[in-house]
Formats: sequence, structure tokens, C-alpha cells
Amino acid sequence: MNDVKQELIVLRQILSIPQKFSTGPVMGRFLKELRDNRRIMANRCPRCRRFHLPPREVCAICRAPSGEFVEVGPEGVIQSYDIVYYASPDPLTGEARQAPYTTVNVLLDGVQGKDTLWHLLNETDPTRIRRGLRVRAIFNEQRTGSIHDIKYFDIIEGGTKGAAQ
Amino acid sequence: MARNRNVGIIGIGQTRHSSHREDVNQPEMIHEAVALALEDAGMTRDDIDCVVHGNMELFEMVHQPDMWHVIGDGAYGKPGYRLTTGGTTGATLVCAADTLVASGLYDVVLAVGFEKLQEGHTTGGITNMADPLWGRELQTGALTGMAAAAVIEEFGAERAKHAAMKMRVIMDRHAMLNPNAHRQFGFTEDMIPTMVENVPPLVGELRLVHMCSQSDGACAMIFASEDVAKKRCPNPAWMMDHVTVHREETFNLFGNVEEITTMRYAATKLYERNGITDPLRQIDVFEMYDPSSWWGLDWIREFFLLDGDRHLRMVENEEIGMDGLIPINPSGGVVATNPIGATAMIRVAEAALQVRGAAGAHQVKKEVNLALASGFGGTLWTVLVLLSKNPPVLKEERP
Amino acid sequence: MSNTHEDAFVVEGKLALPYQYFAGTVGSRFLTALRDECKILGQRCEKCGKVFIPPRATCERCFSDLSGAWVELGTSGMVANFTVIHYEEPHHPRKAPFVIALIKLDGADTPLAHVVAGVDPSSVAVGMLVKAVFAENRIGSIMDINHFEPA
Repeated sequence: MNDVKQELIVLRQILSIPQKFSTGPVMGRFLKELRDNRRIMANRCPRCRRFHLPPREVCAICRAPSGEFVEVGPEGVIQSYDIVYYASPDPLTGEARQAPYTTVNVLLDGVQGKDTLWHLLNETDPTRIRRGLRVRAIFNEQRTGSIHDIKYFDIIEGGTKGAAQ
Repeated sequence: MARNRNVGIIGIGQTRHSSHREDVNQPEMIHEAVALALEDAGMTRDDIDCVVHGNMELFEMVHQPDMWHVIGDGAYGKPGYRLTTGGTTGATLVCAADTLVASGLYDVVLAVGFEKLQEGHTTGGITNMADPLWGRELQTGALTGMAAAAVIEEFGAERAKHAAMKMRVIMDRHAMLNPNAHRQFGFTEDMIPTMVENVPPLVGELRLVHMCSQSDGACAMIFASEDVAKKRCPNPAWMMDHVTVHREETFNLFGNVEEITTMRYAATKLYERNGITDPLRQIDVFEMYDPSSWWGLDWIREFFLLDGDRHLRMVENEEIGMDGLIPINPSGGVVATNPIGATAMIRVAEAALQVRGAAGAHQVKKEVNLALASGFGGTLWTVLVLLSKNPPVLKEERP
Repeated sequence: MSNTHEDAFVVEGKLALPYQYFAGTVGSRFLTALRDECKILGQRCEKCGKVFIPPRATCERCFSDLSGAWVELGTSGMVANFTVIHYEEPHHPRKAPFVIALIKLDGADTPLAHVVAGVDPSSVAVGMLVKAVFAENRIGSIMDINHFEPA
């Protein structure tokens, strides 16, 4: 038997499968309000009164079917955030993301309960971000009925609120 | 939960977990672990009544791989199940095997968990867990800095960062003793300050070294009824109990219900059911699924139902070391070795090795009567398994 | 206020991630034999008396180690069964209609799935004798056999 290292075959490919996602009526309403009216809509549980954001069909705690839609935001307060340095592939596009980018959980003005909206923050400098900062949703001019009709949240300069000092 | 009969773990096999397994395909890699488990049990393929198989869906993008893997895992012509529950899969396979034997349906069950993470993209794959309409473009797999941010907020940056890095160093020290571990670095305590500042960050304060490995590997375990176990094995590890807590909506649920981690919830239930009132003392060793050093650190408090900074002190004072009050991850844990579909099973396998006194160089010196193993996955789920040196007393035998 | 189904709509998306598959030492030997020698190899389990293709390191029935038990198979064989595909997908090896067959190669006890071409699909039949046609550019893939055609 020869002592040359055996060639090991590797098959490499990007598997790309087209998919369709159905919004359903609740998420559909939420996305249409972003697209057509630049409004962020939560819906409320008729029993515990908690707001769901994004809106849900059924309250996870009460199991009651959700009730009315209510407009919230467009400003709110940062509850938590993640500054992502690692550029992973986005499975919706197959391409590596641009990094760094910051994801943020925002408690929007008007929300009863603590459901936050998860979105992007237009800031990646860790010295400039902390819990409690006030932020505002910035909408795209061209909107298609996607969560990214909100382009990102901007920090409102000079508008900090209590919390972490 | 009442067992019809006791279940003993009588065979354990693992591959040498690695990121360089281009020399085998999936069934061949699995076969290595299965062959070792059969050898450990002194059994052949003919002794196995049923095979339960599992891994993460999607990672290798091969569907129903249990069909293909019949070539290597001995399942040809046998009853079998395929289970996939995210990161907890390995532990769920243990629960399933235990239940199948305890019920009386099968006498000997082979459980097989594996992952060939080099064949897919782990972070990209996990990102598919997020809702495609609002979270998928934001989520970065299992990577988040929020656990670190919470610990830092509670204990201050300097102490928190040091404790998390010390946790990592202790885990590596244990991994160095485990021939099957994937990553063995030889970290020492004096390296901590440099590592804290200089290791590249992934997300926030979660740095590359804190984060679990991405490994190719397989684990196989053989579960047998009490009769068969006692006949075939001089020292089975006995299944005492297991509890599974899977929950959705954990990332953004800051609702009106008291928030309790699945870790604390599972531990509370398990301890109540098994008469454990002082877990730090009654449990002899804990193989914890630590996806990152930050979570590993934080969950010491959750799993042992502690308060305040006791868990930080346990790390700072090395009470979790091999000779400590409660050795944690003598195998090196998940930060050192993580073939995801096998990982949670490896926690149980390593705990079983400790109970049987068969862990070799990474065997803890103290006598191990009760061992705890945890699985983690999905949106902060927990599976908790309790093993004992002696077969539990079955309900109908109790006075 | 109730949610109407008029509010529901469909979003086009996709799932796209990079993958790689390792053939392993056994699989690699099979593929390099196709690429470099235009040879089709199988493995013989002495205990079970069977010759397997595609390649595998272990016999599923008796767990014998097959990694060194190579035998050269013929490049001809018989159609054991087949199907005609009438629809198009980007990943298909041919435009519709085309034939995928299970081919029992001379010397093998298990069939190999592959394309049968060079013949009208309506003329393909079980039992038909076929032979392998190798591709001009071979890269170490099962498609180094370009297709099978009537012998």
C-alpha cells in the first residue's frame, strides 16, 4: 500500500430552496399597517390586557383569542441589545451579513405589559448604547409589507430615560 | 412517573470528537460510536431490540438520515424511532430509550445521537428557528451577548468577566483529561486577564473562546432492563428520573407571569420527586450542557437553586473543579465538545461513566452515587436526567 | 374586531446555506476510481456473500468491515426498475421528460440509481441491458458516469 495520503473528496455547494411564507391574517394586518400607514400595531389580550408585539392570534398565557389592534410607538425605550460582530450567512439570502450590526429589543410607548419589538439599532459603538435610551423607528420611503419597512431605530439624542446610569 | 421496571445503562461509546472528520461520512462516523458501545456492553447487533436515532434537523440538510445510517448503526431490520428536538435531542433520546425499556416494550434499546457540523453551517442553520417574517434577519444562530450583559449588570464588569473566563479555564482543564474532547487548549489561570481583553468578540461580551465548539461526533448508549442489565453488566449506571421543560416565547416574554428559567423549574421538579433537599451536597457530579461560559456560570445558580453570588464564588474558589464540592463537567463540557445531536447524550454518557467509575483520567476521585446531567436547546429549554449507582426502589416495592 | 383573511398575504423567501459533504475514505476511493480510471467499484461482504454498491465501510447485516473489500464491477448491467420524470426542477440532471433507473450492474447484488438516456423514455423497460457512458470532464462525482444507454 502506498504511503501517499489518500485524496478525500468533498462536495461543496450552496443549497438554495425557494420558499413561501404565509403571513396569516394577524401578521398580515401588522405588515400592511407598516407598509400603508407607517403605523406599528400591537394587539391586546382581552383577559390579561397584555399587548402582543408583533401581534398574535392567541395569548400565550391566557390562551384567549386576541382582541383589538392598538397603535404603539413609534418611539420607545431600549430594554436589551446585542452588538453582533460575527458575520453569519443569512439563510433568507444565502449571503454573509455585514457586521457589526446591533439588534435591539424596544419597549414601545403605549405597550401594556413588557412585549418588546426586536429590530435593528443604527449604532454599533458600545460606549454609545445602553438600556434605557430612548429610540425612534425610522421608516423606509419604499415599503413592501415587511418588518424591514422600518429601516432601523435611531437613538434620540438627549432623550435618555432613567434606568442604567 | 412510575416505572414498570428499572433501566440500566450498560454500554457507552463515543467518537473522538473533532473538526477534521473528512475521512468518514455520517454512517461511518456513527458506526464508530455504536461499535464501541456494543463492545462496552459485551453485546452484538443481535442483542439490540430497538434503535432510537436523532440529530438536529436541517444542519446537514439530509432528511431522514436514520434510513441512510442503517448502514452503520445496526438498525437494519429492527424497530426504531427518529427523534429531533433541537439541541436537547441527545437527552431526549436518553429519555425515550429509558421510557421504552421501563415500559416493558423492549429489553435492550440502543440510542444514537450524532452531528457532522462541518457539513453544514451551524449558526446559519440555527437562525432558521426564527420567524421568517420578523426575526430571521436579526437572529445570529445561538449567539447572543445578553447572558453576559445580565451577569455584568448584576455583578460588575470586572468580576463578571473574570468569573466567566475562569469558568472557561476550569472547563478546559477538565477537557485536557478527556481523550474524546474536541478542543483542548491548556489554558492557565494567569492567562485570564489577557484573554478577557483580547479574545475576539462574537456578540457583545460573548467572545470566541466562551462559545461552544462545533464538532463532528457521535455517541451511542445501550439501555437494558434490570434483569438483562444485572446479567450482562457488573456495574450499570441506573436511570433514576428525567424531566423535560420545553417552552416557547422565552426571548421576549417579559409578561405578567413570574419569570422562572426552565433550568430552575426542571431542577425544582426533579429534586422534589427524588427527595433531594440539599442538591449541592447530595449530588456528587454534574455534567451540565454549557453552550457558553456565560450561560454555564449563570446556570450554576439556577440548577442548584441558589441566590446572590454563591455561584460566582463556587467558580472563583474552584468548588466546581475535579476535587471540589460539586465537580461540574469533568469531561470538559460543551464548550470543549459539541456535536449537537450527540451533545446532550454525551452529558448523560459522561455522567454514567462517573457513576460506573469508568471515566479514566477524568474520573472524579470521590464516590459517585448520584449524578446529574442536563440538556439544552431551542429557546432556553432544559432536559434534566438523574442517574444513580444503585437501582431505584420501584413504587410498588415501597412500604 | 376580527381578523379577516383578506389581510393575509404570501411573502416569497428562500432557504440558502452553504453545505459540504465528505465522501470519507471509502467513498473517495469509489469516486476517484470513476474519475481517474472510468472504473465502477463495489464491495464484497465475504460473510453475507453480497456485493454492494454504492460504497459503504460496514456491512449493515453482519457489521463486517468492508473498507478494503473492493471488487471491480462491470460497466454494463440491467434495468431493474425505472421511472419517467415529467416535471422540471432546477436541481434535476436532465430536462423533462427523462428517465431515472435502478441499474443492477454486472457483479453487484444491489442496484445503482442513475439516468438512462439515448433512448425514448417510452422504450425503456425492466430487463433492458444498458452500459455506462462516462463524462468528458470528470470531477469525482457520481455524475462522472454521464448516463446509461442501451447496450
